[in-house]
Amino acid sequence: MAERYSSFTPGGTGWLLQRVTAVFLILALAFHFFLLHFINHAADVTFGGAAARMAEWGYYATMILFLVAATFHGVNGVYNALINQGLDGQLKTAVKWGLAVAGLLLIVQGVRVANALAGGVP
Amino acid sequence: MSGTPRYDRGAIEDFGRWREFSAGMWAWIFHKFTGWVLIGYLFTHIAVLSTALAGPATFTGTIQGLESQAVVRVLEVGLLAVAVFHILNGIRLLLVDLGLGLEHQDRAFYASLVLTGLIAVASVPVFVEGAF
Repeated sequence: MAERYSSFTPGGTGWLLQRVTAVFLILALAFHFFLLHFINHAADVTFGGAAARMAEWGYYATMILFLVAATFHGVNGVYNALINQGLDGQLKTAVKWGLAVAGLLLIVQGVRVANALAGGVP
Repeated sequence: MSGTPRYDRGAIEDFGRWREFSAGMWAWIFHKFTGWVLIGYLFTHIAVLSTALAGPATFTGTIQGLESQAVVRVLEVGLLAVAVFHILNGIRLLLVDLGLGLEHQDRAFYASLVLTGLIAVASVPVFVEGAF
């Protein structure tokens, strides 16, 4: 039997969350592309149209969840890719916290954008 | 990883060995590459959308200014291809995690590539409409 090789701790929270967010992102990313490229064309996007979508509570909540899931999945993916490349020791700790801060800032900024479009939390 | 001895699997990170790579190793590399592109794009995307904080005119002007450039439309097709491959190969990885289809994982990778190509090509007319 082949030895197990992964940067994830077997059965760890990071491993599980990476997969749970993956399942959600498959649906959310496909929806996002369909809505903003096929139903509405990206070239026709205006502040008014985006604001009308974001003012819908369900759309707003989906987009915030999309933002949080994508940020976690992406930042955690980068962290694990770097561990694959041999990241270790103090640098690993520094990178972990650097990525965590970058991810949090991205989420904060994304929520600010959503609120600016929706004119506050719908 | 402390206390766990690393075994020598032959570094996949040694890209000089690319001629020896099997389908699964290419899938691993493509998934990493598309993942890096997508997280890079996510930060860029939020940065562009942040123009909403400067007001409706700035937001609409920025989006429509970008979309009026043919190069942006072409890059969007590339982004779609990257996202579709990451999604399809991600489904392949989830199935493997569930113990499904491990013996067909190489064919699943080829299917992901072919489907990505078909979807990207089929989407070109929608993405470039009015840009050239």
